[in-house]
Amino acid sequence: MNRILTIAVVAAIAFGAASAQAKGNVEAGKAKAAQVCAACHGPDGNKPTGPDFPVLAGQYPDYIKKALSDYKSGKRNNPIMKGFAATLSVQDMDDLAAWFASQSSNLVTHR
Amino acid sequence: MRIQRLFMALLAGAIMAAVSQGAAAQGTAGSAEAGKAKLAMCIGCHGIQGYKTAYPDVYHVPKIYGQQPAYIVKALQAYKSGERSHPSMRGIARGLTDADMADLAAYYAGGAK
Repeated sequence: MNRILTIAVVAAIAFGAASAQAKGNVEAGKAKAAQVCAACHGPDGNKPTGPDFPVLAGQYPDYIKKALSDYKSGKRNNPIMKGFAATLSVQDMDDLAAWFASQSSNLVTHR
Repeated sequence: MRIQRLFMALLAGAIMAAVSQGAAAQGTAGSAEAGKAKLAMCIGCHGIQGYKTAYPDVYHVPKIYGQQPAYIVKALQAYKSGERSHPSMRGIARGLTDADMADLAAYYAGGAK
């Protein structure tokens, strides 16, 4: 019984560690961002061209991916982003998330 | 002479439009200090490094300090209207006035350190 519990715990930790790792490829994300995102968010996601466009640089990758998939599915309804997200595969989203998350910015957790 | 008068009228119109636009923009500008007093409902999630939301999906709560203020207001308005659907954020945004949103946005934009 104890052994099963141990195995379960080890498996859970291993799974957690694996899913915490970035699945995206930073270089592929950089290339994709230059084509799709840079015109509005800036090449590294730090220089949005509109005051109501978000800074993406330094954001958590899983949040970026979540936003992109919600735009694609229509759960998050933004006509501009829907059009761009519609062209992205899951791998593209992982790559873009990895790229923007790896860029430095003023975005921080602060209370 | 007539053309000159027309030109002056157009110029005056343009100046008035610019001035009223400036006033409108100022109307939406919040106070970072006031925002600091309204943070209580934000920091439980957005003030904790690496914090994750557990429902409806598990992912990191976004970093928002240093974000563009107009984007923060837009996000809060979208939660309030239901256009964006995160349950906790909807609940919180429903309780915020336009002034609250502007103040919080000013704070999170980095106006108060």
